[in-house]
Amino acid sequence: MNRRYIDSRRIFFITGGILLGIVILAFLVSLFWTPYDPNTTNAATRLLPPSAEHLMGTDNFGRDVFSRILSASKYTIFISFSGVAIALVIGTLTGLPAGYFGGISDRVIMLLMNSVMCFPGILLALVAVAVAGPSMFNVVWALGIVFGPTFARVYRSGTLEIKERDYILHARVMGVNPVRIMAAHIFPNLMSQILPATVIGLANMTLFESAMSYLGLGVQPPEASFGKMLSDSQAYMTRAPWLIIFPALMLVFYILGLYFISEGIRVNNSRGGIVR
Amino acid sequence: MRGKNNSTIRYFLVRLIELLITLLLVSFMTFAAFSIIPGDAASVILGPDATPAQVENLRQELGLDKPLYVQYFSWLLGAFTGNLGKSAAFGVSVSELIAQRLPVTLGMSVIALIMVVVISYPTALISARRPGRLADQICSVLGHVLFAIPPFVLSLVMILLTSSLFGLVTVGRYTKPSENFFSFVGCLLLPSFCIALPKIAMTFKFLRSTMIEQNASDHVRTAKSHGLSDLMIEFRHVLPNSNVSAITVISLVLSDILGGSLIVEQVFNLPGLGRLLLTGIARRDFPLLSGMILYLALITVLLYFLADILTAIADPRIRIK
Amino acid sequence: MRPSRLLEIKNLCLGFPGRKGTYTEVLKHLDISVRPGELLGIIGNSGSGKSMTALAVTGLLPREAIITEGEILFDGEDLLKMKPRSRRALLGNDIGIVFQEPRTALDPLMRVGRNLEEILTVHGVKDKEERRSKIISMLSRVNFDDPEDIYDRFPHQLSGGQRQRILIAGAALLSPKLLICDEVTSALDTVTTVEVLDLLRSLCIEMKITILFISHDLSAVENFCDRVMVMNDGHIIDCDNTYDILHTPRNEFTAQLLENAKLNPHSLNLVTADCDYSASPVMTGRSLSVGYGKKTIISSMDVDIFPREILGLIGCSGCGKTTLAKAICGLLPYQGEINIKGGRPGTVFQDPVSCLNPSHTVLWHMKEALRASGRSKDKASDMELIDKVLVEVGLESRPLNRYPNELSGGQRQRVAIGMCLIAEPELIVADEPFSSLDATSAAEILKLLAKINRERGVAILLISHNLHIIRALCKRVIIMNRGSESETGMTSEILKSPSSIAGKALLEAERKLHGM
Repeated sequence: MNRRYIDSRRIFFITGGILLGIVILAFLVSLFWTPYDPNTTNAATRLLPPSAEHLMGTDNFGRDVFSRILSASKYTIFISFSGVAIALVIGTLTGLPAGYFGGISDRVIMLLMNSVMCFPGILLALVAVAVAGPSMFNVVWALGIVFGPTFARVYRSGTLEIKERDYILHARVMGVNPVRIMAAHIFPNLMSQILPATVIGLANMTLFESAMSYLGLGVQPPEASFGKMLSDSQAYMTRAPWLIIFPALMLVFYILGLYFISEGIRVNNSRGGIVR
Repeated sequence: MRGKNNSTIRYFLVRLIELLITLLLVSFMTFAAFSIIPGDAASVILGPDATPAQVENLRQELGLDKPLYVQYFSWLLGAFTGNLGKSAAFGVSVSELIAQRLPVTLGMSVIALIMVVVISYPTALISARRPGRLADQICSVLGHVLFAIPPFVLSLVMILLTSSLFGLVTVGRYTKPSENFFSFVGCLLLPSFCIALPKIAMTFKFLRSTMIEQNASDHVRTAKSHGLSDLMIEFRHVLPNSNVSAITVISLVLSDILGGSLIVEQVFNLPGLGRLLLTGIARRDFPLLSGMILYLALITVLLYFLADILTAIADPRIRIK
Repeated sequence: MRPSRLLEIKNLCLGFPGRKGTYTEVLKHLDISVRPGELLGIIGNSGSGKSMTALAVTGLLPREAIITEGEILFDGEDLLKMKPRSRRALLGNDIGIVFQEPRTALDPLMRVGRNLEEILTVHGVKDKEERRSKIISMLSRVNFDDPEDIYDRFPHQLSGGQRQRILIAGAALLSPKLLICDEVTSALDTVTTVEVLDLLRSLCIEMKITILFISHDLSAVENFCDRVMVMNDGHIIDCDNTYDILHTPRNEFTAQLLENAKLNPHSLNLVTADCDYSASPVMTGRSLSVGYGKKTIISSMDVDIFPREILGLIGCSGCGKTTLAKAICGLLPYQGEINIKGGRPGTVFQDPVSCLNPSHTVLWHMKEALRASGRSKDKASDMELIDKVLVEVGLESRPLNRYPNELSGGQRQRVAIGMCLIAEPELIVADEPFSSLDATSAAEILKLLAKINRERGVAILLISHNLHIIRALCKRVIIMNRGSESETGMTSEILKSPSSIAGKALLEAERKLHGM
């Protein structure tokens, strides 16, 4: 029975890697080359179906969808990675000490974090961006703040568990200072929990980012993003379904790829996926 | 016996105090966020052509010239009495605007929640009974894939499918609940399904692993050794024990659903809170935005509180020390 | 006619399908016969198939398990040929089973009464009042003083021993013919173990319940069972009455089992340092009170540890031994006064799995200890010191770049001791350092502690539940009960004639179980 478990993990990892690989490849290619300029409009090539010239057709402004998709993947990857980085920093700086010291500091920090989590995430991000003005960097920090408490929780619960282990007690008796205990003794052991949470965080952040772009509050036109491409083409979707299909596929590939990889790297976590 | 009651009462009291503190924190954060940013309500209401004197007059009228803490407390007091101020863009009271748009958002959330519970529980139960069998594998793979589709993408696909395959118009169709309740529910069904589907997958995944864990637990083995049948064990032991952790997950799912409905109603062009929010954002209508945020956060806080209470009722280990 | 065998397992073969069509056989042509009314013990190492036998009889095997051959006759009927429904009807009614871990074996959401009631409900006791009175009388049968109160309690409000008695009450509720006990005492301390064994014996005699007692613990079997079977690698290799098996083992395996089970400290010739009780103590604790939150665990205790002495600390589980150790190490806030000479004490804890940080190498651990002690000088002399300490704790192979998961339990415990020594403490607090190790490694660690005490003159506070070890190593001992000292004095006197009730109970249990 052990076998089925290991195999399913490997299958998840490989499938996830392939799906994610497609988007990452698009991102890498877009850095150096796109078949057409993604933002140049051309009235002569409006709403052309996919062909050898335009692999994924053209949109209502005559822009090459393939080029726009390549360039959109760039923003999706950039925003999700930098947003997660910010959230990780917030989570580390709050969740680790909250879990380690416990008591009052834990109560205060977690009350603050839980209060932030009481705002529906997408609402918070939307309003933050609306108030600060829609731009890519505002999206990044808004998402970072919205996701910070989630990571704080992961760090805290992991720390709570590890700080009771004998090796941490040893370190305390030896007189190692708390900051070093957290950084050198606890932090490395949190990796098995942080890593899947990070990958899931990337996926969830992309869900938010695409929804924000869809509402026009993400990456600003004329730059392409998957969400904006979808909302722009909604009016033409019965006439030109390729406008919907390709961006939607890329978006789902990215998110699904990340989910699968997180499922694949989940270590010794009995929740989820285990076949007994 | 008295000892038991004491610890139970203390638990609920502590939770109640925490609830009040959270409510205060949430309201304070909302207020603070809108106080830091430049541009105030008065100049938004009067538009760019207003003279400074006009703006100053209106500021006084709205109380914007007073110290911030006075503003905060009068705002908070208003919030408690249902008076969230006047919308700068619509010129109507914020509470009234929210009340008008609430049925759509709330209706979709409730329908989606029902779908989540009704679909995820039975499938998880079947999957967990024979993990690794065909039925389980189909459910699991489906769950993984659906989990990853953003609700608005799903909505677009659904609109595309219904219109091209069945020739149905699903966008922009809306009946007020006061006119015809059933057709109101009818036009919310598809949007609700689009929000619910990823959440069904998520809840299924969680329930499945919890139930598998429960099925393999020591107390279930004890129940088997007492001669109980599988079905009895599921209803007496597996389901109640899974519910303990599922309540929290479902409360998180519901708050996600609430957020998701803001977006999906935009796709289906329904007159709910989502559209109100976007109008508020576009017109920089801060009283409206702060009122809406406070209102939705309140709902979420109460939701989490309710989940905590339900969990404590379900699990004696929490309420009785 | 009543068969002369209550349970007869004939030629039973059971296995699990594994990787790529392989097949692991767990039970190999197993033959067991149980006579009505007897107390039959089955002993064997973990993995020998004891538990699988119990599960096969009760029909609770994991789904993947395959029975390829054989039959299980219960009262003359083959269980394997029965329909699932009629097998379930037997469970709880004619066959009862109790498992090892009492803490998780009751549904945490239900009161004790409701947990037990389901047995009566499924086996057709319709009347609610009848169910209640049956359960209450059974609860008092398993020695609860206040069964009405226990009936309304939740499992988490009860101790492990209490929960185990409730589970036994459940299994015996309908007076089954056969009661299978699978490692029922392994998670309990000595005093509770003896209570549970006495209870089982009385059930066997008074209610005429046949008991199949499965255990890896020889001492539990020794003074309890009529007959013993020795199981190894999926079949019975020896079977006779208990005395003969344990005193004149007829095959190597049984002899080995006996040897491993008994750590005999007297044969190790431990020499400890001479201690001068007139010297000023290396550690003094005055009116110590320790608690978590509002709950007080330890109330006003005085402790003195003298230089070069090994002080034993014993008591049943939950009496506050570990809490005291933690307070002395400064891991818990306390009221009162603790003075330790020579700075921080060294610590050795019970669990060899979590005593080292899995993310770091042995070298990192030693360097970290050196850094924390403030004795770190230049790189070369540091390495020399680390090297010296590793040799001293018996790690001549110097596994500097190994990670903890690449070391054995004993080796990890040695590294932990080395980390203490590098700071050159005057006191080492050792909390059950042997209880998770096998007999051989435990003996080695025991020798190491004695050597450290002898050569370095370090005082050691040794917490152990093993009175043999305490007797061999400690000149002085403290017996704890419910968070305070019940008596203290020279080991030789106290363990011969304890004056306190707790001390007597502890010794009585030990005598029954290990025959001291």
